[in-house]
Parts: sequence; structure tokens; C-alpha cells
Amino acid sequence: MIVAAALCPAAPLLVPALTGAEPVAPDLRSACLAAAADLAEAGADAVAVLGAGSQTRRWDRGSGLDLAAFAPGPGARRPAGRPGLPYPLGIGGWLLTEAGYRGDRLLQSVSAQDSAGRCAQAGAALAAARPRLALLVMADGSARRSLKAPGYFDDRSERFDAAVESAIGSGALGWLLSADRRLAGELMATGFPALQALAAAMAGGRLVTQVRYSGAPFGVGYLVASLRVTG
Amino acid sequence: MAVARRKGARAGMSEAREQGLLKLGAHSFGPRDLLVMAIVNRTPDSFFRPGDTWEEPAAMQRVHRAVTEGADIVDIGGVPAAPGPEVDVAEEIRRTSGFVAAVRAAYPGLIISTDTWRHEVARAACAAGADLINDSWGGWDAGLGAVAAEFGAGLVCSHAGGQRPRTRPFRVSYADVMADVIEHTTRLAARAVADGVEPARIVIDAAHDFGKNTWHSLEVTRRLDEMAATGWPVLVSLSNKDFVGETLNLPVTERLAGTLAATAICAWQGARIFRAHQVAATRQVLDMVAAIRGDRPPARAVRALA
Repeated sequence: MIVAAALCPAAPLLVPALTGAEPVAPDLRSACLAAAADLAEAGADAVAVLGAGSQTRRWDRGSGLDLAAFAPGPGARRPAGRPGLPYPLGIGGWLLTEAGYRGDRLLQSVSAQDSAGRCAQAGAALAAARPRLALLVMADGSARRSLKAPGYFDDRSERFDAAVESAIGSGALGWLLSADRRLAGELMATGFPALQALAAAMAGGRLVTQVRYSGAPFGVGYLVASLRVTG
Repeated sequence: MAVARRKGARAGMSEAREQGLLKLGAHSFGPRDLLVMAIVNRTPDSFFRPGDTWEEPAAMQRVHRAVTEGADIVDIGGVPAAPGPEVDVAEEIRRTSGFVAAVRAAYPGLIISTDTWRHEVARAACAAGADLINDSWGGWDAGLGAVAAEFGAGLVCSHAGGQRPRTRPFRVSYADVMADVIEHTTRLAARAVADGVEPARIVIDAAHDFGKNTWHSLEVTRRLDEMAATGWPVLVSLSNKDFVGETLNLPVTERLAGTLAATAICAWQGARIFRAHQVAATRQVLDMVAAIRGDRPPARAVRALA
């Protein structure tokens, strides 16, 4: 079962090596590190990283973030392990290491190509994988929050992200399972399948949520939260 | 894909291409010639000096000045690359084809390029006198080659990372960005040959910033010699782009020095066409690079010679 969970955006810009000399989004980064550090200290048997990918599947725990895929250059090295790890899992793994976590890990991707039911199933199976599991979900809101956003502006994006935040913030995650998948896709909420898996993984538990960050400084919705199971 | 590339390489390996000949309009250029392509936007909302040449008289003034400053080609576009208000085919044609005809009438020998990804717009522009179709969106519209072939025009084959026209890249990543650029652009070039475009009129372009983050554009710049080694003439479009702005942390109005540095590096590695806003400065850089390479004598050398 899940004893604690954290939500962070799967934004590559969390990784300082990708963003150049000047500090980028320091408040977002520290919120993510704090959320990951909480998980590292949750007393779990393992931490599972959950994120969206092109397939719904588990990955070798040795797989790591391929920095060179985002920032090629002289001296850029490819990671050990099998290639093809979805970047949300790579960034989540990086975040855990950065937060000082050295214990056992599981890596699970869920795909927007698969149904909400299939993603929920993967989330529930993940929750059952260890007696005491902590869960790090790497998922973003809409990438269409402003004119300068990657997906340009869509005036439905803010309401959608607010509804997600409300579900996460209130602990009533059930809404995520019934939410409009097509709308999530149109709004470029690329992490949404992972949020559905999160909802299934946490089903039945009573949750207390601490929202650590909420905003869209680059036009992509970022929500950082810690979810504690109270009973 | 590999099969297509091999077939394309055979089809494209004409005698003219082996000599590095590039044909644009009635002109022929050798592999050491460096050409400036001046940007002329018939748009109210392009990123650099938005609306500057939206009105036709201002656009024609821009052409006059570009020619005076040493432009070899003018590239006329009617739709900004960034997302924004929809510009449909009819409106894009309205913005560009009449102006192409006007420039053709004013400058019978000037090389005119049409900056579009749509074959309907390219057809209208070629009918009005354009010599080259500059498609920055990676061959999204497969009908461009047939239009170029029909009019004896050239075609720029670019790499946009599979992005739909007028979309921004979002967390794009590549196992090897330059390998992807070469694979895609040479495949498009082979497709153009198959469509009947004259091989000596086909150009390839890495399309900096298109489907790329800043690291990717820097890598493409660093390794541009690999594109030149394909034998296809290479165009670079660097002018005042975001990869320059992010590298130097400068707004769009202050990116000339960075643009020119990238221009020199690309010229040194074999790029042959340079799409630019600031024509005079670009021409100076290219003349200097040509002199350093030994392709162009100094304008006047008397220092220590008198």
C-alpha cells in the first residue's frame, strides 16, 4: 500500500544541468526537492516513480535520465541501462537522488494511448507491489496556459488545472478517474494519465494534502504537493 | 528509411551536384559562394520588428535596402512561425503573391524566395515569379516538391522535428539531434528529386529553434560540417533567434552580435545561404570569412606593403 505520495511536474527545467548558468525557477525546484525529501524519509520499503510515457509498463530500476537527449554537447554522457526511459521517470529518479534517497526504487510509466481503466489498473498494481510504498508522481498541468506557452493559449486550461488542483488539494482524487481525457489531451496536460494512476493507487485512503507550489511561470501548469495517508 | 536514403543519394548524384553547383533562378553558384537571403515579412506580428514591413510600400523599401546592402535573395513570407491568429491559404496568398510579382517587376534578376509550408501558396508565388520555395516546417505539405518541379523552382528541405506548422517545441529530445537532422533533410531532398525538382536547386536547412531547444540548436551549429558533408547546399536561418537570446540572455533587439558569431561559425563549416534580418552586417561577416578562407581577396591591402 501507499504510505505517502508526492506530486511534482515532469519539467526538464528542474534539472540545473539543462538550464545553463543562471538559476531557473528556484522556488519550484526547492518545492520539488522538499516533496521528494519527504518521501525519502517516509519510512517506506521503496519509492515508486510514476509518470506518463508512450507505453504502460515497468522499467529496470537502473535506468536513468538521458541528459544528452535534451542537452547534447561535448562531454554529454548517455546513462547506463536500457535506453528509452520516459523522461518523467528519469527526472523523478534524478529528483529522488538529489533529495538524498538511496533506497529501493520502482519505475512505472502509463500511456495516454491506454484507457483510463488500464492506467488505473497499473496504479493499483503498483500500490500493491510493496507493503509500504512511497509514490512520486511526475505530472504536469496544461501546457497551454499563456500566449507564450508551448501549446499557445487555450482559455479552458486554467479551469482544468484548477479542477486538478482542487481534487489533489481536497484529497478527493476520484474526480481524476472520471475526468475528460480528451480535454486533457487537447490542453496538452501530458501528465494526466499518471494522475489517474495516482488516484487508483491511493483509492480508499484518507488523505491530507500540502500544496507546496502552484503556478505556470512558463505557460505550463506546475503543481507540487505532498499527500499523506492518515487512515 | 535507409533504403529511401540510398535511392535518393543515387538519384541526386547528378554531375552538377558532384561539382557543388547550386542553381537559383537564372544564377549558378559554386560551393565557395556565400549568399545572403534577406527576410521580408508581410506580417503584422513577426517576432523581429513586428509589423515593420506589413504595408507594401515599407516592404518594397526593405527590398531596395536589402539589395543595396548586398542581399542575393529576398525571402518573402506572410505567416509568422509562432502560433497566433490563423492565417488561411487565401490570406497568405493575398499577403505574398502580389508582392512577389511587384518585386519581380522591379528586379528582373533578383532571386526571390517564398517562405511558406503550403503548396497552394508556393504555387501562387512561383506563378508570380518566385525562384525558390523556403519551407521551414520540414516538408509538412508533401505537395511542395511537385510545385517546385512544375515551375523549375528550388526547394529548401528543413528539419522541424516533426512539429506541426506554427507550433512550439515542448520538451523535445533526440538520441542524436544532428543524425536526425541529416536523416530527415536528406530524405526530403531525395523526395524532392523523386518529385522532379532539379537536384542542383535543392537546399537543406537544419532549421535552428524549430523542434529544438537551445542546446539542440547549439549542437547543430557546432556540427554543421556534417550537414555540409552530405553534398547538399546548406542554408542556415539564425537571425535573432531564441537560441541566441537564451545563450546570451538578451532580448530580440540585442541579438545581432550573437547571430553574427553563429553566422561565421556556420560559414566556416560550409553553410552557403544565410537567412538574415540585418543584411549589411551579415554580408560583412561572410566577406570576412571568405577572405580568411582565402576565397576572396581583401578589398584593399596596403598595410606594410607601401
